[in-house]
Amino acid sequence: MADNPDDLRTALGQVRFLGSARNGTAEARLIHITSLALIPLTLYFVWLVLDLLHMDYNGARAELGHPFPTILLLAFILSGIVHMEVGMRSIIVDYIRGHARAWALVVNTCFAALLALACVYATLRIGFT
Amino acid sequence: MTTTDAAPGKRRPRPLSPHLGIYKLTMTMAMSIAHRISGAALYVGVLLLAWFLIAASSDAATFGVFSAFIESFIGRLVLFVFTWALFHHLIGGIRHFIWDSGYGMDAPLRDQLAWATLIGGFALTIVVWAIGYAVR
Repeated sequence: MADNPDDLRTALGQVRFLGSARNGTAEARLIHITSLALIPLTLYFVWLVLDLLHMDYNGARAELGHPFPTILLLAFILSGIVHMEVGMRSIIVDYIRGHARAWALVVNTCFAALLALACVYATLRIGFT
Repeated sequence: MTTTDAAPGKRRPRPLSPHLGIYKLTMTMAMSIAHRISGAALYVGVLLLAWFLIAASSDAATFGVFSAFIESFIGRLVLFVFTWALFHHLIGGIRHFIWDSGYGMDAPLRDQLAWATLIGGFALTIVVWAIGYAVR
């Protein structure tokens, strides 16, 4: 909104209370930042999976254990799981209301956190053992 | 959230989106819901990635269980749908970045972008699977 010169209020005063008063921008920012990161990371992940296809167990493990794949895989996992947690949050608040909504949000966050821990642990274990 | 939902029965609750009973289905609407569906599919699909990583971090026998599943018909089908959801959602996300920057909102272009999302998602999935079978 442009600053109206005839208005005695400041530019901030003119726009205050016009939008959401909650925390929508933090979610929008998280979704956008993670989706931007996920464009190259997803392409790398697909390339990595294609590269692993012709390998046996030991070969795939050795390949995944190198620093470069480990770091990029961790970046893919973390940005992907944050992205899906925030994305599912917006689906939940759109379709579910009341107490069920609150529980769905809790389950969503716990599921994402557990999944992130499991994936990060497994990825590090491949690299370190 | 609590203030609008607090008193059911006293006043009509605010409508939940999307308003499928209100508007005729357009291509951009169809791709909007396809974006959500593919996102939700990936949400479940990440379990497959977790299984793969946990199996790979264990031992050859544990990994063999995962391998046997993913090479079975059902496993391939699940992986194929996962691949499609991944690419459809990826291209859909790029389309949203184009819209967020203010471009592509006009009538012909927004529909073309929606079609490009649908066709591009399937095309990339088929290309990647062709490469997968070729290098294997």
